[in-house]
Amino acid sequence: MENQSKTPVSADMIKRYTRIRKARLAVDFVLKLGMIFVFLFPFYWMIASAFKTTYELNQYPPTMWPHRFTLDGFRSVFSYFNLWPYIRNTIVISLSVLVLQMMTMIPAAYAFAKMKFRGKALLFTLVLVAQMVPTQLTFIPIYIMFSKAKMIKTLWPQILPFGASAYGVFLLRQSFMQVSDELIESAQLDNASLWQIMYRVMLPMAKATLVTVLLLCFINHWNGYFWPLVMCNTEDVKPISLVIARLKQVEEGVDWAAVMAGNLILTLPTAAMFLLFSKKIIRSLAYKGMK
Amino acid sequence: MAEIRFDKICKSFGNVKVIENLDLTIQDGSFTVLVGASGCGKTTLLRIIAGIGPQSCGRLFIGGTDVTALPAGKRNIALVFQNYAIYPTMSTRGNIDFGLKNNKVPRAERDRLVSQVAETVGLTPYLDRKPNELSGGQRQRIALARALVKTPDVFLLDEPLSNLDAKLRVSMRSELIELHHKLKTTFVYVTHDQSEAMAMADTIILMDKGRIMQMAPPEVIYLEPENAFTAQFIGTPPMNILKLGGDGRSFGFRPEKGILSHERREGCAYCVPGRISTREMMGSETIYKVAVNSGVGDTGSVMIKSQDYGFRIDDRIWITVEDEFLYFFDRDGIRLRPGDRREKAALFAQVEKEAAHG
Repeated sequence: MENQSKTPVSADMIKRYTRIRKARLAVDFVLKLGMIFVFLFPFYWMIASAFKTTYELNQYPPTMWPHRFTLDGFRSVFSYFNLWPYIRNTIVISLSVLVLQMMTMIPAAYAFAKMKFRGKALLFTLVLVAQMVPTQLTFIPIYIMFSKAKMIKTLWPQILPFGASAYGVFLLRQSFMQVSDELIESAQLDNASLWQIMYRVMLPMAKATLVTVLLLCFINHWNGYFWPLVMCNTEDVKPISLVIARLKQVEEGVDWAAVMAGNLILTLPTAAMFLLFSKKIIRSLAYKGMK
Repeated sequence: MAEIRFDKICKSFGNVKVIENLDLTIQDGSFTVLVGASGCGKTTLLRIIAGIGPQSCGRLFIGGTDVTALPAGKRNIALVFQNYAIYPTMSTRGNIDFGLKNNKVPRAERDRLVSQVAETVGLTPYLDRKPNELSGGQRQRIALARALVKTPDVFLLDEPLSNLDAKLRVSMRSELIELHHKLKTTFVYVTHDQSEAMAMADTIILMDKGRIMQMAPPEVIYLEPENAFTAQFIGTPPMNILKLGGDGRSFGFRPEKGILSHERREGCAYCVPGRISTREMMGSETIYKVAVNSGVGDTGSVMIKSQDYGFRIDDRIWITVEDEFLYFFDRDGIRLRPGDRREKAALFAQVEKEAAHG
C-alpha cells in the first residue's frame, strides 16, 4: 500500500496542519457566534427593554440588563388599549385561515401529486402563477369586492383571500409525490376511501411538511400588517398587530417600555410555536435539500 | 370458490398494446405462477386481477362474478407487493388492522383476528413496533399478515421474495407452499425466476410479449415444452437448441440428457465430439460447457449436466443423446411431434447429418 517514493510525514507538517485546523475551527466558531448575535440581539434587546423602567430606558450609556425589573411596560400597554378583543380577532383570523388552508391544500396537493386528469399541468401552472401576482395589484379590487358584498365590517376580508395557498399546495405536493404509488394501491386494496388514503396514509408521511406550511402561514397571519391595515375600517375587526404598531403614536410621546412589551406580547405565540415545532421544520426542509 | 377467468381481455398503455384478446382461466385453489422476463406482461395481469391497473377491454370474473366494474377494495383479494408497501407511519398492528377497520369489522373481532394472524406469521412480539424498526424479513411478514387477515378469495403475490436474501428466500418459499396447502385458496404468484416457478407452482403460466407461451404443471412444462421459447426459458441451464438443416427448424435436448464419454458411442442419432470449456462443480452434479462444431447456432457450445465430475477443462470428449430425449421445433419454434415412423426417421437422419458435420 505505502508508496516508498512519497515524502514521509514530518513532525513539522503535522504541527503546521494542526495549527491550520485549529485556526479554521476558531474562525468557524467566531462566524457562527456573529450570526447568532445578529439574529438574537434584537430579541434580547426587546425582552430586556420590556422590563425596564422608562427612566432606565432613556439612560446613557444604555444598560444591558434591567437594574430593576418592572412590569410597568405591560401595564401601560393595557392602559392605552384593551388588547383582548384584538388578540381575539387575531386568533380567530389565524386559526380560520389555518383550517381553510388545510381543507383546500391537502386535497389539491393530493390531486396534483397522484391523480391523472386532463389539464393537470395547466391547472398547476395557473396555481403557481396566481401566487406570483403581487398583492399590491390585487388589494384594491379585493377591497372593492368585499365592500360591495357588504362584508368589509366583518373579519372575512382578512380570512377568505387566504383560504388557499399555492405555496402550501406546492410544498405538500412535493412530499406527496415521494410516497410510492404502491402504498396508495395497497390502501385501495385495503378498501380505504380516497379520504382515508389522504388523511390516514399520505398525510402522516408528509407531517413535517404540513406542520412547516401551517406554521409559516400562522406566523404570517399573526404578524400580518399591510393587509389588515387596508381592510380594516372599524375598530372591532382590527388584529393585534395594528394596535401594537399604534403604540408608537400615543399622545405622551413614545413610551418605549410599552412598545417593547407590546412587541413581546405579539411575538411570544409565534416564537413559542417555532420552538415547539422547530425540529419538524428543519427536518422537512433538510429532507427537501437531500432529494 | 374463486376461479379467475379472463374473457377477451386487452390492456394498452397509451398507444402501446401490452395484452391483446387474452382468454385464460386460473383454477380455484391452485397455486398458479406467472413467469416470464421483465416486460412480458405478468405483473400487468396481476394488476388487472387486483383492480389497481384495470384492463382496457374485456371482462374479468372471480368466482363466477363479473368484477370488471368492482374497485380493488371490494374484490376480496389481497396483494403482496414486491417492496411490501406497508404503511411506514403505522405500527405492525396498525398495518394489519387497517383493512379490517375500513371494512368496519367490530373492534373485538379485529383484535382477535390480528393476534391470530400475528401468531401464524410469527409477529406477535413486534405488534407495536414501527416498520422501520424491523428487518426485511419481518416487513415481508407484515405484508403477508396484512393479506392473510382479510381471508381473501384470491392471494396475489408480486415477486414477494425478490428483496430477501438467498437463505430467507428459500425458507419463505416453503412457508408459502405450506400456507397455500393449509388455506386452499387460489394463489397467483408472479416471478421472473423460473426455478422459483418450478419449485412453487402447481400450474405455471409462461408469458412472452403479452402472450401465454404455455400453461401447464411444472413437470409437463419441463418435459413437454410446446415451443422452443418454453424449452429455453425453463431449466437450469435451459434446453440446448441446435439448428437442423438450413430451413430454420431446430432440435434440442436437456443438459442432463447429454452423456459425456471419452470414446465415441454408437447407436444414437446425435453423437458429436467436443472440448470442455468450463466446469462448475455444484455438489451433486457438475455443469460443463462444451464447445462443439456442429449444428450450434451462435454460441458454438452446449451445456451438459452430469453426475460425473471427473472431466476437466480442455478434455476432448464425445457428447451422446439418446433419440427419445431429442425435441424438434419448426421454423416458428413450435414443437414438432412427428406422427408416423417415416417422418421420425427423416428427422433423425437429419440430426445424424448435422452431427456428422463436426
